Amino acid sequence: MSVVQNGLFSLCTSLRTEGQLRRTLKNFDKEKTKSPTGWKIQLAFGFAILILLIVGASSNRSMVVSNESALRVRHTHQVLGNLQNLLLAMETFESSYRGFVLTGNESDLKSYRANILSSEQHEAAVRSLTVDNPAQQGRLPALETLISQKIQFGEMVVDLRRTKGFEAAADAIRIGQGKRSMDDIDRIIHELQEEERRLLTLRDADANRHLSQTKMILILGTTLGLLIAFAAAWSVHRDNSRRGVAEEALLESEQGAAVILDLTHDAIFVRNPKNEIVFWNKGAEALYGWSKNEVSGRTTHDLLNTVFPAPLAEIEAEVFRTGCWEGELTHQRRDGTSLIVLSRWAVQKDGSGNPVATLESNRDITQHKTAEAHLIRMEARYRGLLEAAPDAIVIVNQSAEIVLVNAQTEKLFGYRRDELLNKAIEILIPRRFLNEHPGHRNEFLGHPQVRAMGQGMDLFGLRKDGSEFPAEIMLSPSGIADGILITAAIRDITARKRAEEHLVKAADELKRSNIELQQFGYVASHDLQEPLRMVASYTQLLAKRYKGRLDSDADEFIDYAVDGCSRMQRLLQDLLAYSRSGTDVTAPREVSCETALKEALANLRVTIAESGAVVTHDPLPAIVSDDSQLVLVFQNLVGNAIKYRGAEAPRVHVSATKNGRNAWTFSVRDNGMGIDARYFERIFVLFQRLHGRNEFKGTGIGLAICKKIVERLGGRIWVESQPQKGSTFCFSLPESGGV
Amino acid sequence: MESVETHIAAFEVLLVEDSPGDVRLTLEAFKDAKVHINLHVASDGEEAMAFLRREGKNLNVPRPDLILLDLNLPKMSGQEILEEIKKDPILKSIPIVILTTSTSDEDVLRSYLLHANCYITKPVDLAGFLKVVRSIDDFWLSVVKLPSEVKL
Repeated sequence: MSVVQNGLFSLCTSLRTEGQLRRTLKNFDKEKTKSPTGWKIQLAFGFAILILLIVGASSNRSMVVSNESALRVRHTHQVLGNLQNLLLAMETFESSYRGFVLTGNESDLKSYRANILSSEQHEAAVRSLTVDNPAQQGRLPALETLISQKIQFGEMVVDLRRTKGFEAAADAIRIGQGKRSMDDIDRIIHELQEEERRLLTLRDADANRHLSQTKMILILGTTLGLLIAFAAAWSVHRDNSRRGVAEEALLESEQGAAVILDLTHDAIFVRNPKNEIVFWNKGAEALYGWSKNEVSGRTTHDLLNTVFPAPLAEIEAEVFRTGCWEGELTHQRRDGTSLIVLSRWAVQKDGSGNPVATLESNRDITQHKTAEAHLIRMEARYRGLLEAAPDAIVIVNQSAEIVLVNAQTEKLFGYRRDELLNKAIEILIPRRFLNEHPGHRNEFLGHPQVRAMGQGMDLFGLRKDGSEFPAEIMLSPSGIADGILITAAIRDITARKRAEEHLVKAADELKRSNIELQQFGYVASHDLQEPLRMVASYTQLLAKRYKGRLDSDADEFIDYAVDGCSRMQRLLQDLLAYSRSGTDVTAPREVSCETALKEALANLRVTIAESGAVVTHDPLPAIVSDDSQLVLVFQNLVGNAIKYRGAEAPRVHVSATKNGRNAWTFSVRDNGMGIDARYFERIFVLFQRLHGRNEFKGTGIGLAICKKIVERLGGRIWVESQPQKGSTFCFSLPESGGV
Repeated sequence: MESVETHIAAFEVLLVEDSPGDVRLTLEAFKDAKVHINLHVASDGEEAMAFLRREGKNLNVPRPDLILLDLNLPKMSGQEILEEIKKDPILKSIPIVILTTSTSDEDVLRSYLLHANCYITKPVDLAGFLKVVRSIDDFWLSVVKLPSEVKL
């Protein structure tokens, strides 16, 4: 984020102001029109056209020359052909008139006439064909003269043959004028032919030269044209690329810069040296609630109620000196709420170094600052907690060096803080544990989680003075950038250990004394029973054998002795029952309370029948308890309800209600005589009776036994009653596992 | 009839009891029940075993038809005596009635586990005791057919 911001910031600072931005754009436009692309292309086209003209002219000329040459060659060939035919005609003419001389046959003169005509035609052709060649023309008159002499000679010979016969004609031929003129004709024609052949050779060479010149020009011209075309194309392409980049820059700046500045959430604005706002982006609108139009020309510090971290003059001095400034400002929004911003200023100076505009980019860090403040508060609170902690707190790093201790650590171990910091944790561990400790520590680092150190082990701390104390240590790991820190909370448990030991001792003592008491009760009642039985049995034997045979005093004494013995026996039996009750509790198991009640009622069958009592009950739950003990409780309570009856026939109702999540309350309600509230406690005490022996039999053991049993089973027993209004005996028992 | 009466009169009962008062009381009770028995008394376990095995001075003593055994005795306890007798192949056929003041369930159970033939708690009053002794006489010496000393 900060990178983006910095990037934007530098973009902004490089542009500085909107005005400068516009100037930059104008410069860019000028550069565009001055672009080298135009004249380069024009030059390239100029070159190309010139080359094409040269190539065209050259090939045109070449074509003309070549045509001329061809014409001349053909012309020469015509001249040569005519000369050849002329020579042939002259030779045929000579031989034809000579044939006529020999034979005198007039038919031989046919070709003679034809050849004269033919030679005249060819001669005329040669004349006209060589009209442009004065040298040839110069030879022609001599040739004409020779030909006309030859023809005249022929005419004369033919005439002689006809008129003077063969001999005259033959003599004329023999004189030999004819032969010589024929040779001359032949020579001149050959000269003419030679001249034409020479011309032909010259013209051929000239035509060839022109052809290769044209070829060269064509090749060169084409290559050059192609090169120029390529160069022009490349130049155009390069300029186009430049033009693309330039166009992007145009987009970024002209419409772009403002749009991009509007994209950022940061508030960005530009102010002139008078601190009047000249540019105000959308981020600023959003952040401060002022629109662009509203702020235009207003002074920023007044508008935003800026609170500076330092005097404004100092800040401005720094801006002037360094060109930029960064700091936290407090601003006020349009709605009056304040915010903290991270503000960055950049200043643009003119050529003479005077500031012309300041760009200010502000980021809202209010939340961040609030969180920071919270963090600082938390840190302080954490420190406070740490120092106030009742446990010694030692924080070690991964290398087992102590990095932090609290006040309690100093107190507990007797070291000063500076004596512990950066020391190995082993300084606080008794020597005999030093071998095992690194292993345990590695194990912890392998599975770092909050746990008690050395479960099931007795731990000790080592004080500075060498003494030890039993300790309980909680470990908790916390990951940091470069590893793990282990926080150990160390508690001195000397007092607790002592209390625990004391408690164990006391519990043992209590247990022993209880067993002794139980044994005492049992032994006393059992062993006292024996001699008492003797006393009772023999007193009774005495009464049986001697009653009425001694005096009346003796009889009365014997009666008291017998009565005392029986009461003593009852008390001993009850004491035995009491001391046994609750001691031989069997393993707790699920007991149906209904079954227990039924068993109790069966035991009371005779009592119930004799009293005419009606015993009812609600459905009773099943609980985990001891069934025989439960039977005893029901039997005692129902028995009492019948025994201490009122005027009416006894009505007893047994019910149970769930009491909480794991308890039942049982109640045995009767319509008996009731109990005064002041006896509510006393009735549960051993051998406490509310009535005379003559009113009700019994030693006062029943409720004491009930209380003992119920308490042994994890419940309690109480009574709710009013005299004459019946009593309700209640007892609670846990639903499961109270024993 | 003679022979039958003679047979009845010939009942031999061994009472293992250390308390002379109880011995006398038992004797009185049998007397009260008008039963003719020969009551032999051993005051501890050693004496009882000597009598049963006819050791020492007991060379000519009869084999008892019934043993009345108290549990609370000096030296050997009643249960040790019981165990000893029931381990003895000759003596184990003699019925043993535990007659004691203990009402402990544990004592009751242990006695039966050691093959006691019955367990009776001495009633604390005289009338009760007389009744119990009369019942023993009725049941064990009249109703029940007891084994004779015949080697199997």
